[in-house]
Amino acid sequence: MAMKKFINDPANLTSELLEGLTMAYCNKVKLVSEKMVCRTNEKSSDKVAILTLGGAGHEPALQGYVGEGMLDISVVGDIFAAPGPPKVFEAMKALSRDAGILFVVLNHAGDVMSANMAMKMAEKEGIKVKMILTHEDIAPGIDAPVEDKRGLGGCIPLYKIAGAAAEAGMSLDEVYRVAEKFNDNMATLAVALKGATHPSTGEAIFELADDEMEIGMGQHGEAGTGRSKMLTADETAETMLKQLVKAIDAKSGDKVFAMINGAGATTLMEQFIVFRHVKKSLAEKGIEIARAHVGEVLTVQEMGGFQMFLAKMDDEIIKLWDAPCDTPFLTVR
Amino acid sequence: MAEVGYLDIRRMFLASVEKIRENHQELSRLDSATGDGDHGTTMVRSFDSVEKTINDAQGEDLKSLLYDIGWNIMCADGGSTGPLLGSLFMGMSESVEGKDSLDEASLAAMFRAGLNGMSEQSKANVGDKTMMDALMPAVDAMEAAAGKGKSPGEMLADAAKAAADGAEATTDMQAKFGRARNLGERTIGHKDPGATSMSLIFQAFAESI
Repeated sequence: MAMKKFINDPANLTSELLEGLTMAYCNKVKLVSEKMVCRTNEKSSDKVAILTLGGAGHEPALQGYVGEGMLDISVVGDIFAAPGPPKVFEAMKALSRDAGILFVVLNHAGDVMSANMAMKMAEKEGIKVKMILTHEDIAPGIDAPVEDKRGLGGCIPLYKIAGAAAEAGMSLDEVYRVAEKFNDNMATLAVALKGATHPSTGEAIFELADDEMEIGMGQHGEAGTGRSKMLTADETAETMLKQLVKAIDAKSGDKVFAMINGAGATTLMEQFIVFRHVKKSLAEKGIEIARAHVGEVLTVQEMGGFQMFLAKMDDEIIKLWDAPCDTPFLTVR
Repeated sequence: MAEVGYLDIRRMFLASVEKIRENHQELSRLDSATGDGDHGTTMVRSFDSVEKTINDAQGEDLKSLLYDIGWNIMCADGGSTGPLLGSLFMGMSESVEGKDSLDEASLAAMFRAGLNGMSEQSKANVGDKTMMDALMPAVDAMEAAAGKGKSPGEMLADAAKAAADGAEATTDMQAKFGRARNLGERTIGHKDPGATSMSLIFQAFAESI
Protein backbone atom coordinates (compact mmCIF):
# COMPACT_ATOMS: atom_id res chain seq x y z
CA MET A 1 0.00 0.00 0.00
CA ALA A 2 1.28 3.44 -0.86
CA MET A 3 2.34 5.67 2.01
CA LYS A 4 -0.43 7.95 3.24
CA LYS A 5 1.05 10.81 5.27
CA PHE A 6 0.70 14.59 5.39
CA ILE A 7 4.14 15.53 4.21
CA ASN A 8 5.75 17.76 1.59
CA ASP A 9 9.14 16.89 0.14
CA PRO A 10 10.44 13.77 1.96
CA ALA A 11 13.91 15.33 1.90
CA ASN A 12 12.73 18.13 4.21
CA LEU A 13 10.86 16.12 6.85
CA THR A 14 13.24 16.80 9.71
CA SER A 15 13.80 20.49 9.09
CA GLU A 16 10.08 21.13 8.60
CA LEU A 17 9.03 19.23 11.72
CA LEU A 18 11.64 21.05 13.81
CA GLU A 19 10.47 24.38 12.47
CA GLY A 20 6.91 23.46 13.38
CA LEU A 21 7.85 22.31 16.88
CA THR A 22 9.86 25.41 17.67
CA MET A 23 7.19 27.69 16.21
CA ALA A 24 4.44 26.04 18.24
CA TYR A 25 6.39 26.16 21.49
CA CYS A 26 8.53 29.23 20.84
CA ASN A 27 8.29 30.29 24.49
CA LYS A 28 10.11 27.08 25.47
CA VAL A 29 12.30 25.95 22.56
CA LYS A 30 14.16 27.49 19.65
CA LEU A 31 15.92 26.12 16.63
CA VAL A 32 19.58 27.07 16.46
CA SER A 33 22.01 26.39 13.65
CA GLU A 34 19.70 23.93 11.90
CA LYS A 35 18.76 20.75 13.76
CA MET A 36 19.82 21.92 17.21
CA VAL A 37 16.80 22.39 19.45
CA CYS A 38 17.72 24.61 22.42
CA ARG A 39 15.96 26.14 25.39
CA THR A 40 14.49 29.55 24.65
CA ASN A 41 15.48 30.76 28.13
CA GLU A 42 18.95 29.42 28.61
CA LYS A 43 19.93 27.87 31.90
CA SER A 44 22.44 29.87 33.91
CA SER A 45 25.96 28.78 33.16
CA ASP A 46 26.79 27.89 36.77
CA LYS A 47 24.54 24.81 36.40
CA VAL A 48 25.30 21.53 34.64
CA ALA A 49 23.89 21.38 31.11
CA ILE A 50 22.05 18.32 29.79
CA LEU A 51 22.65 17.33 26.16
CA THR A 52 21.32 14.50 24.02
CA LEU A 53 21.35 13.38 20.40
CA GLY A 54 19.20 11.19 18.21
CA GLY A 55 17.33 10.74 14.98
CA ALA A 56 13.99 12.32 14.15
CA GLY A 57 10.73 10.54 13.43
CA HIS A 58 10.12 9.59 17.08
CA GLU A 59 8.12 12.66 18.13
CA PRO A 60 7.61 13.97 20.72
CA ALA A 61 11.03 12.47 21.63
CA LEU A 62 13.65 13.60 21.95
CA GLN A 63 13.50 17.34 21.30
CA GLY A 64 10.01 17.68 22.78
CA TYR A 65 11.72 17.42 26.16
CA VAL A 66 14.02 20.39 25.78
CA GLY A 67 13.25 23.07 28.31
CA GLU A 68 13.60 24.13 31.91
CA GLY A 69 14.28 21.16 34.16
CA MET A 70 15.08 18.69 31.39
CA LEU A 71 17.28 19.03 28.27
CA ASP A 72 19.31 22.07 27.31
CA ILE A 73 19.98 20.95 23.74
CA SER A 74 18.79 18.03 21.63
CA VAL A 75 20.91 17.53 18.51
CA VAL A 76 18.68 16.02 15.88
CA GLY A 77 19.81 13.86 12.97
CA ASP A 78 17.59 12.85 10.12
CA ILE A 79 14.69 10.40 10.18
CA PHE A 80 15.83 7.43 12.31
CA ALA A 81 19.44 8.49 11.75
CA ALA A 82 21.92 9.95 14.22
CA PRO A 83 23.29 13.44 13.69
CA GLY A 84 26.91 13.65 12.63
CA PRO A 85 29.72 14.26 15.14
CA PRO A 86 30.44 17.82 13.92
CA LYS A 87 26.93 18.95 14.88
CA VAL A 88 27.15 17.25 18.28
CA PHE A 89 30.52 18.89 18.89
CA GLU A 90 29.02 22.24 17.95
CA ALA A 91 26.35 21.73 20.63
CA MET A 92 29.04 20.84 23.17
CA LYS A 93 30.89 24.04 22.37
CA ALA A 94 27.66 26.02 22.74
CA LEU A 95 27.01 24.48 26.16
CA SER A 96 30.61 24.48 27.36
CA ARG A 97 30.86 25.69 30.97
CA ASP A 98 32.87 25.12 34.13
CA ALA A 99 29.96 23.23 35.67
CA GLY A 100 30.15 20.73 32.82
CA ILE A 101 27.77 18.88 30.52
CA LEU A 102 25.97 15.58 31.02
CA PHE A 103 25.62 13.95 27.61
CA VAL A 104 22.84 11.35 27.44
CA VAL A 105 23.21 8.84 24.60
CA LEU A 106 20.77 6.07 23.68
CA ASN A 107 22.46 2.83 22.76
CA HIS A 108 22.11 2.65 18.99
CA ALA A 109 25.07 2.06 16.68
CA GLY A 110 24.94 5.41 14.88
CA ASP A 111 24.25 7.45 18.00
CA VAL A 112 27.12 5.86 19.90
CA MET A 113 29.57 6.24 17.03
CA SER A 114 28.70 9.89 16.59
CA ALA A 115 28.79 10.48 20.35
CA ASN A 116 32.20 8.85 20.78
CA MET A 117 33.70 10.92 17.99
CA ALA A 118 32.21 14.12 19.39
CA MET A 119 33.56 13.20 22.86
CA LYS A 120 37.06 12.93 21.37
CA MET A 121 36.70 16.35 19.77
CA ALA A 122 35.46 17.79 23.08
CA GLU A 123 38.40 16.30 24.93
CA LYS A 124 40.85 17.96 22.54
CA GLU A 125 39.04 21.25 23.04
CA GLY A 126 39.07 20.89 26.84
CA ILE A 127 35.28 20.83 27.17
CA LYS A 128 34.04 19.29 30.43
CA VAL A 129 31.52 16.63 29.50
CA LYS A 130 30.49 13.24 30.89
CA MET A 131 28.63 10.72 28.78
CA ILE A 132 25.94 8.38 30.04
CA LEU A 133 24.61 5.55 27.88
CA THR A 134 21.03 4.31 28.26
CA HIS A 135 20.60 0.63 27.44
CA GLU A 136 17.48 -0.50 29.22
CA ASP A 137 15.93 -2.71 26.53
CA ILE A 138 15.67 -6.20 27.95
CA ALA A 139 14.48 -7.86 24.71
CA PRO A 140 17.82 -9.58 24.09
CA GLY A 141 17.72 -10.97 27.65
CA ILE A 142 18.22 -9.44 31.07
CA ASP A 143 21.85 -10.53 31.21
CA ALA A 144 22.66 -9.79 27.57
CA PRO A 145 25.80 -7.72 26.93
CA VAL A 146 25.28 -3.95 26.92
CA GLU A 147 26.01 -3.78 23.15
CA ASP A 148 22.81 -5.72 22.50
CA LYS A 149 20.57 -3.66 24.75
CA ARG A 150 19.12 -0.66 23.00
CA GLY A 151 18.18 2.61 24.60
CA LEU A 152 14.41 2.97 24.36
CA GLY A 153 11.90 5.35 25.96
CA GLY A 154 13.63 5.26 29.35
CA CYS A 155 15.77 8.19 28.28
CA ILE A 156 12.80 10.52 28.79
CA PRO A 157 12.34 10.01 32.56
CA LEU A 158 16.12 9.96 32.81
CA TYR A 159 16.29 13.43 31.23
CA LYS A 160 13.81 14.53 33.89
CA ILE A 161 15.86 13.12 36.77
CA ALA A 162 19.17 14.47 35.46
CA GLY A 163 17.61 17.80 34.49
CA ALA A 164 16.15 18.30 37.95
CA ALA A 165 19.47 17.43 39.56
CA ALA A 166 21.20 19.99 37.36
CA GLU A 167 18.60 22.68 38.17
CA ALA A 168 19.10 21.94 41.87
CA GLY A 169 22.71 23.01 41.44
CA MET A 170 24.32 19.59 41.84
CA SER A 171 27.85 19.15 40.48
CA LEU A 172 28.48 17.18 37.30
CA ASP A 173 29.64 14.19 39.34
CA GLU A 174 26.45 14.34 41.42
CA VAL A 175 24.18 14.74 38.40
CA TYR A 176 25.96 11.80 36.80
CA ARG A 177 25.57 9.76 39.97
CA VAL A 178 21.78 10.17 40.23
CA ALA A 179 21.32 9.70 36.49
CA GLU A 180 23.39 6.53 36.61
CA LYS A 181 21.47 5.29 39.64
CA PHE A 182 18.22 5.66 37.70
CA ASN A 183 19.86 4.19 34.58
CA ASP A 184 21.06 1.11 36.46
CA ASN A 185 17.61 0.41 37.83
CA MET A 186 15.40 0.79 34.79
CA ALA A 187 14.12 -1.59 32.11
CA THR A 188 11.94 -1.38 29.02
CA LEU A 189 10.23 -3.96 26.87
CA ALA A 190 8.41 -3.10 23.65
CA VAL A 191 5.59 -4.85 21.86
CA ALA A 192 4.41 -4.23 18.31
CA LEU A 193 1.28 -5.38 16.56
CA LYS A 194 1.36 -3.28 13.42
CA GLY A 195 4.22 -2.01 11.28
CA ALA A 196 5.06 1.52 10.25
CA THR A 197 6.23 3.14 7.03
CA HIS A 198 9.54 4.96 6.78
CA PRO A 199 8.47 8.51 5.95
CA SER A 200 11.51 9.15 3.73
CA THR A 201 11.19 6.06 1.56
CA GLY A 202 7.50 5.24 1.90
CA GLU A 203 8.42 1.60 2.47
CA ALA A 204 7.23 -0.57 5.33
CA ILE A 205 9.93 -0.91 7.99
CA PHE A 206 8.48 -4.23 9.08
CA GLU A 207 5.34 -6.24 8.69
CA LEU A 208 3.32 -8.40 11.01
CA ALA A 209 0.42 -10.65 10.09
CA ASP A 210 -3.06 -9.48 11.10
CA ASP A 211 -3.22 -11.90 14.01
CA GLU A 212 0.37 -11.51 15.19
CA MET A 213 2.27 -9.40 17.68
CA GLU A 214 5.95 -9.24 18.55
CA ILE A 215 7.44 -8.57 21.96
CA GLY A 216 10.88 -7.01 21.88
CA MET A 217 10.47 -5.00 18.69
CA GLY A 218 12.94 -2.13 18.52
CA GLN A 219 12.02 1.42 17.81
CA HIS A 220 13.04 1.24 14.16
CA GLY A 221 11.27 -2.03 13.52
CA GLU A 222 14.33 -4.09 14.40
CA ALA A 223 13.00 -7.53 15.10
CA GLY A 224 12.40 -8.67 18.63
CA THR A 225 12.46 -12.03 20.19
CA GLY A 226 8.95 -13.24 20.66
CA ARG A 227 6.51 -13.31 17.78
CA SER A 228 3.17 -14.76 18.86
CA LYS A 229 -0.54 -14.75 18.14
CA MET A 230 -2.36 -11.69 19.50
CA LEU A 231 -3.00 -11.77 23.24
CA THR A 232 -5.39 -9.68 25.32
CA ALA A 233 -4.22 -6.48 27.03
CA ASP A 234 -3.94 -8.22 30.39
CA GLU A 235 -2.10 -11.23 29.00
CA THR A 236 0.34 -9.02 27.07
CA ALA A 237 0.90 -6.74 30.05
CA GLU A 238 1.50 -9.67 32.38
CA THR A 239 3.99 -11.34 30.03
CA MET A 240 5.99 -8.14 29.74
CA LEU A 241 5.68 -7.03 33.35
CA LYS A 242 7.00 -10.33 34.66
CA GLN A 243 10.25 -9.83 32.74
CA LEU A 244 10.56 -6.18 33.73
CA VAL A 245 10.05 -6.89 37.44
CA LYS A 246 12.74 -9.53 37.22
CA ALA A 247 15.07 -7.22 35.30
CA ILE A 248 15.02 -4.47 37.92
CA ASP A 249 14.69 -6.98 40.75
CA ALA A 250 11.66 -5.22 42.25
CA LYS A 251 10.45 -6.76 45.50
CA SER A 252 7.60 -6.27 47.89
CA GLY A 253 7.97 -2.87 49.55
CA ASP A 254 9.82 -1.34 46.60
CA LYS A 255 8.65 1.83 44.92
CA VAL A 256 8.72 2.08 41.15
CA PHE A 257 8.07 4.44 38.28
CA ALA A 258 5.82 2.83 35.65
CA MET A 259 5.34 4.17 32.15
CA ILE A 260 3.32 3.04 29.17
CA ASN A 261 4.60 4.71 26.02
CA GLY A 262 2.41 4.42 22.94
CA ALA A 263 4.31 3.62 19.73
CA GLY A 264 2.16 5.87 17.55
CA ALA A 265 -1.00 4.03 16.50
CA THR A 266 -2.01 2.46 19.78
CA THR A 267 -4.77 4.45 21.44
CA LEU A 268 -4.62 5.97 24.91
CA MET A 269 -7.64 3.78 25.64
CA GLU A 270 -5.49 0.69 25.11
CA GLN A 271 -2.56 2.20 27.01
CA PHE A 272 -4.75 2.86 30.06
CA ILE A 273 -6.17 -0.66 29.90
CA VAL A 274 -2.63 -2.01 29.89
CA PHE A 275 -1.58 0.32 32.71
CA ARG A 276 -4.53 -0.84 34.80
CA HIS A 277 -3.18 -4.37 34.73
CA VAL A 278 0.34 -3.20 35.55
CA LYS A 279 -0.97 -1.42 38.63
CA LYS A 280 -3.06 -4.39 39.81
CA SER A 281 -0.37 -6.95 39.17
CA LEU A 282 2.33 -4.91 40.95
CA ALA A 283 -0.03 -4.28 43.89
CA GLU A 284 -0.45 -8.04 44.30
CA LYS A 285 3.35 -8.30 44.55
CA GLY A 286 3.45 -5.51 47.12
CA ILE A 287 5.26 -3.19 44.73
CA GLU A 288 4.08 0.41 44.86
CA ILE A 289 3.83 2.60 41.76
CA ALA A 290 5.17 5.81 43.26
CA ARG A 291 4.87 7.81 40.03
CA ALA A 292 3.51 6.96 36.59
CA HIS A 293 3.21 8.23 33.05
CA VAL A 294 0.85 7.01 30.33
CA GLY A 295 0.95 8.38 26.77
CA GLU A 296 3.23 8.86 23.82
CA VAL A 297 6.76 9.96 24.67
CA LEU A 298 8.80 8.17 22.02
CA THR A 299 6.99 6.94 18.94
CA VAL A 300 7.83 5.11 15.74
CA GLN A 301 5.59 6.81 13.22
CA GLU A 302 2.29 4.89 12.96
CA MET A 303 3.60 1.72 14.53
CA GLY A 304 1.03 -0.08 16.64
CA GLY A 305 2.21 -1.20 20.04
CA PHE A 306 3.77 0.27 23.16
CA GLN A 307 6.82 0.24 25.38
CA MET A 308 6.39 -0.75 29.00
CA PHE A 309 8.93 0.88 31.30
CA LEU A 310 9.71 0.20 34.92
CA ALA A 311 12.32 1.85 37.15
CA LYS A 312 13.09 1.70 40.83
CA MET A 313 12.50 4.93 42.71
CA ASP A 314 13.95 5.98 46.03
CA ASP A 315 13.17 9.21 47.88
CA GLU A 316 15.92 11.10 46.10
CA ILE A 317 14.63 10.06 42.65
CA ILE A 318 11.01 10.82 43.59
CA LYS A 319 11.99 14.29 44.70
CA LEU A 320 13.77 14.92 41.41
CA TRP A 321 10.80 13.59 39.43
CA ASP A 322 8.48 15.98 41.30
CA ALA A 323 10.71 19.02 40.76
CA PRO A 324 9.35 21.61 38.33
CA CYS A 325 10.02 21.37 34.63
CA ASP A 326 8.62 23.15 31.62
CA THR A 327 9.10 21.57 28.20
CA PRO A 328 6.76 21.24 25.21
CA PHE A 329 5.69 17.73 26.22
CA LEU A 330 6.22 17.52 29.96
CA THR A 331 5.46 20.19 32.49
CA VAL A 332 5.59 19.78 36.26
CA ARG A 333 4.60 22.71 38.42
CA MET B 1 49.45 6.55 -16.27
CA ALA B 2 51.62 5.81 -13.30
CA GLU B 3 50.62 8.60 -10.96
CA VAL B 4 47.20 9.49 -9.62
CA GLY B 5 46.69 13.22 -9.16
CA TYR B 6 44.16 15.62 -7.76
CA LEU B 7 41.98 15.57 -10.87
CA ASP B 8 41.95 11.76 -10.91
CA ILE B 9 40.84 11.60 -7.28
CA ARG B 10 38.22 14.21 -8.01
CA ARG B 11 36.96 12.13 -10.95
CA MET B 12 36.92 8.96 -8.83
CA PHE B 13 34.73 10.58 -6.20
CA LEU B 14 32.37 12.15 -8.72
CA ALA B 15 31.96 8.71 -10.29
CA SER B 16 31.09 7.28 -6.87
CA VAL B 17 28.43 9.97 -6.45
CA GLU B 18 26.80 8.85 -9.69
CA LYS B 19 27.14 5.18 -8.81
CA ILE B 20 25.39 5.65 -5.46
CA ARG B 21 22.59 7.64 -7.08
CA GLU B 22 22.06 4.94 -9.68
CA ASN B 23 21.81 2.23 -7.05
CA HIS B 24 20.08 3.92 -4.13
CA GLN B 25 16.82 2.01 -4.48
CA GLU B 26 18.65 -1.30 -4.44
CA LEU B 27 20.57 -0.21 -1.31
CA SER B 28 17.35 0.72 0.48
CA ARG B 29 15.76 -2.53 -0.61
CA LEU B 30 18.66 -4.51 0.88
CA ASP B 31 18.42 -2.47 4.07
CA SER B 32 14.73 -3.14 4.48
CA ALA B 33 15.51 -6.82 5.01
CA THR B 34 17.70 -6.23 8.06
CA GLY B 35 17.33 -2.55 8.94
CA ASP B 36 14.93 0.32 8.51
CA GLY B 37 15.16 0.49 4.74
CA ASP B 38 16.82 3.86 4.35
CA HIS B 39 20.43 3.04 3.53
CA GLY B 40 20.01 4.22 -0.06
CA THR B 41 18.49 7.51 1.05
CA THR B 42 21.27 8.00 3.58
CA MET B 43 23.98 7.23 1.03
CA VAL B 44 22.49 9.62 -1.51
CA ARG B 45 22.41 12.36 1.12
CA SER B 46 25.99 11.58 2.11
CA PHE B 47 27.24 11.60 -1.49
CA ASP B 48 25.31 14.76 -2.34
CA SER B 49 27.64 16.31 0.21
CA VAL B 50 30.65 14.73 -1.56
CA GLU B 51 29.59 16.36 -4.81
CA LYS B 52 29.09 19.70 -3.12
CA THR B 53 32.47 19.48 -1.40
CA ILE B 54 34.19 18.77 -4.71
CA ASN B 55 32.43 21.63 -6.45
CA ASP B 56 33.20 24.04 -3.61
CA ALA B 57 36.86 23.01 -3.30
CA GLN B 58 39.35 25.84 -3.71
CA GLY B 59 42.82 25.22 -5.11
CA GLU B 60 43.98 21.73 -5.89
CA ASP B 61 45.07 20.42 -2.54
CA LEU B 62 44.57 16.69 -2.30
CA LYS B 63 44.77 16.50 1.47
CA SER B 64 42.18 19.17 2.12
CA LEU B 65 39.88 17.75 -0.55
CA LEU B 66 39.83 14.35 1.13
CA TYR B 67 39.58 15.88 4.60
CA ASP B 68 36.64 18.07 3.59
CA ILE B 69 34.88 15.17 1.88
CA GLY B 70 35.17 13.20 5.13
CA TRP B 71 34.14 16.04 7.43
CA ASN B 72 31.16 17.07 5.31
CA ILE B 73 29.94 13.50 4.97
CA MET B 74 29.78 13.41 8.76
CA CYS B 75 27.69 16.57 8.69
CA ALA B 76 25.11 14.82 6.52
CA ASP B 77 23.58 13.16 9.61
CA GLY B 78 23.60 9.65 8.22
CA GLY B 79 23.57 7.66 11.44
CA SER B 80 26.63 5.38 11.60
CA THR B 81 27.34 5.88 7.88
CA GLY B 82 28.60 9.42 8.58
CA PRO B 83 31.29 8.62 11.16
CA LEU B 84 32.35 5.49 9.25
CA LEU B 85 32.77 7.00 5.80
CA GLY B 86 33.93 10.27 7.35
CA SER B 87 36.77 8.58 9.18
CA LEU B 88 37.63 6.55 6.06
CA PHE B 89 38.11 9.64 3.89
CA MET B 90 39.67 11.75 6.66
CA GLY B 91 42.02 8.85 7.35
CA MET B 92 42.97 8.83 3.66
CA SER B 93 43.70 12.54 3.81
CA GLU B 94 46.32 12.01 6.52
CA SER B 95 48.54 9.89 4.27
CA VAL B 96 48.70 12.39 1.39
CA GLU B 97 50.17 15.31 3.33
CA GLY B 98 52.26 17.44 0.97
CA LYS B 99 51.62 15.21 -2.05
CA ASP B 100 50.31 16.41 -5.40
CA SER B 101 50.15 12.99 -6.96
CA LEU B 102 50.40 9.41 -5.82
CA ASP B 103 52.46 6.55 -7.17
CA GLU B 104 51.26 2.97 -6.78
CA ALA B 105 52.67 2.53 -3.27
CA SER B 106 51.25 5.86 -2.09
CA LEU B 107 47.85 5.04 -3.57
CA ALA B 108 47.72 1.77 -1.65
CA ALA B 109 49.00 3.54 1.47
CA MET B 110 46.24 6.11 1.19
CA PHE B 111 43.54 3.45 1.27
CA ARG B 112 45.31 1.64 4.13
CA ALA B 113 45.31 4.91 6.10
CA GLY B 114 41.60 5.27 5.38
CA LEU B 115 40.93 1.77 6.63
CA ASN B 116 42.92 2.55 9.78
CA GLY B 117 40.80 5.64 10.31
CA MET B 118 37.60 3.68 9.96
CA SER B 119 38.89 0.95 12.27
CA GLU B 120 39.09 3.55 15.03
CA GLN B 121 35.31 3.92 14.78
CA SER B 122 34.38 0.29 14.27
CA LYS B 123 35.83 -2.87 15.69
CA ALA B 124 34.16 -4.87 12.93
CA ASN B 125 36.26 -7.36 11.02
CA VAL B 126 35.80 -9.46 7.90
CA GLY B 127 32.94 -11.85 8.60
CA ASP B 128 30.89 -9.46 10.72
CA LYS B 129 28.58 -8.42 7.85
CA THR B 130 29.51 -4.74 7.64
CA MET B 131 31.24 -2.31 5.25
CA MET B 132 34.51 -3.88 6.41
CA ASP B 133 33.71 -7.06 4.46
CA ALA B 134 34.19 -5.06 1.27
CA LEU B 135 36.77 -2.52 2.42
CA MET B 136 39.35 -4.80 4.03
CA PRO B 137 39.79 -7.19 1.08
CA ALA B 138 39.82 -4.22 -1.30
CA VAL B 139 42.72 -2.60 0.54
CA ASP B 140 44.57 -5.92 0.74
CA ALA B 141 44.06 -6.47 -2.99
CA MET B 142 45.35 -3.03 -3.75
CA GLU B 143 48.54 -3.57 -1.77
CA ALA B 144 49.06 -6.96 -3.40
CA ALA B 145 48.58 -5.44 -6.84
CA ALA B 146 51.03 -2.64 -6.09
CA GLY B 147 53.53 -5.24 -4.92
CA LYS B 148 53.23 -7.01 -8.25
CA GLY B 149 53.97 -3.80 -10.11
CA LYS B 150 50.46 -3.28 -11.42
CA SER B 151 49.26 0.15 -12.55
CA PRO B 152 46.86 2.30 -10.50
CA GLY B 153 44.04 1.35 -12.87
CA GLU B 154 44.77 -2.35 -12.40
CA MET B 155 45.08 -1.88 -8.64
CA LEU B 156 41.66 -0.29 -8.43
CA ALA B 157 40.19 -2.98 -10.66
CA ASP B 158 41.56 -5.67 -8.33
CA ALA B 159 40.21 -3.74 -5.35
CA ALA B 160 36.77 -3.44 -6.93
CA LYS B 161 36.71 -7.18 -7.64
CA ALA B 162 37.76 -8.00 -4.06
CA ALA B 163 35.17 -5.57 -2.65
CA ALA B 164 32.42 -7.08 -4.80
CA ASP B 165 33.35 -10.60 -3.70
CA GLY B 166 33.48 -9.45 -0.10
CA ALA B 167 30.07 -7.84 -0.32
CA GLU B 168 28.63 -10.94 -1.99
CA ALA B 169 29.99 -13.11 0.82
CA THR B 170 28.03 -11.16 3.42
CA THR B 171 24.84 -12.86 2.24
CA ASP B 172 25.66 -15.98 4.22
CA MET B 173 26.86 -14.14 7.32
CA GLN B 174 25.14 -13.31 10.56
CA ALA B 175 25.36 -9.62 11.48
CA LYS B 176 27.59 -8.84 14.46
CA PHE B 177 27.44 -5.06 14.44
CA GLY B 178 25.01 -2.21 14.11
CA ARG B 179 21.28 -2.32 14.18
CA ALA B 180 21.15 -5.60 12.25
CA ARG B 181 22.98 -7.32 15.12
CA ASN B 182 19.70 -7.46 17.03
CA LEU B 183 18.18 -9.63 14.33
CA GLY B 184 20.74 -12.36 14.84
CA GLU B 185 20.17 -15.37 12.62
CA ARG B 186 17.44 -13.60 10.68
CA THR B 187 20.15 -11.63 8.88
CA ILE B 188 21.51 -14.76 7.19
CA GLY B 189 20.50 -14.84 3.54
CA HIS B 190 20.51 -11.08 3.09
CA LYS B 191 23.38 -9.18 1.50
CA ASP B 192 24.68 -6.38 3.73
CA PRO B 193 23.75 -2.95 2.40
CA GLY B 194 26.84 -1.25 3.87
CA ALA B 195 29.22 -3.73 2.24
CA THR B 196 27.29 -3.33 -0.99
CA SER B 197 27.66 0.44 -1.02
CA MET B 198 31.35 0.14 -0.19
CA SER B 199 31.72 -2.21 -3.14
CA LEU B 200 29.87 0.26 -5.39
CA ILE B 201 32.28 3.01 -4.35
CA PHE B 202 35.27 0.89 -5.38
CA GLN B 203 33.55 -0.09 -8.61
CA ALA B 204 33.10 3.60 -9.45
CA PHE B 205 36.72 4.35 -8.50
CA ALA B 206 37.95 1.56 -10.80
CA GLU B 207 35.76 2.60 -13.71
CA SER B 208 36.99 6.18 -13.57
CA ILE B 209 40.75 5.47 -13.81
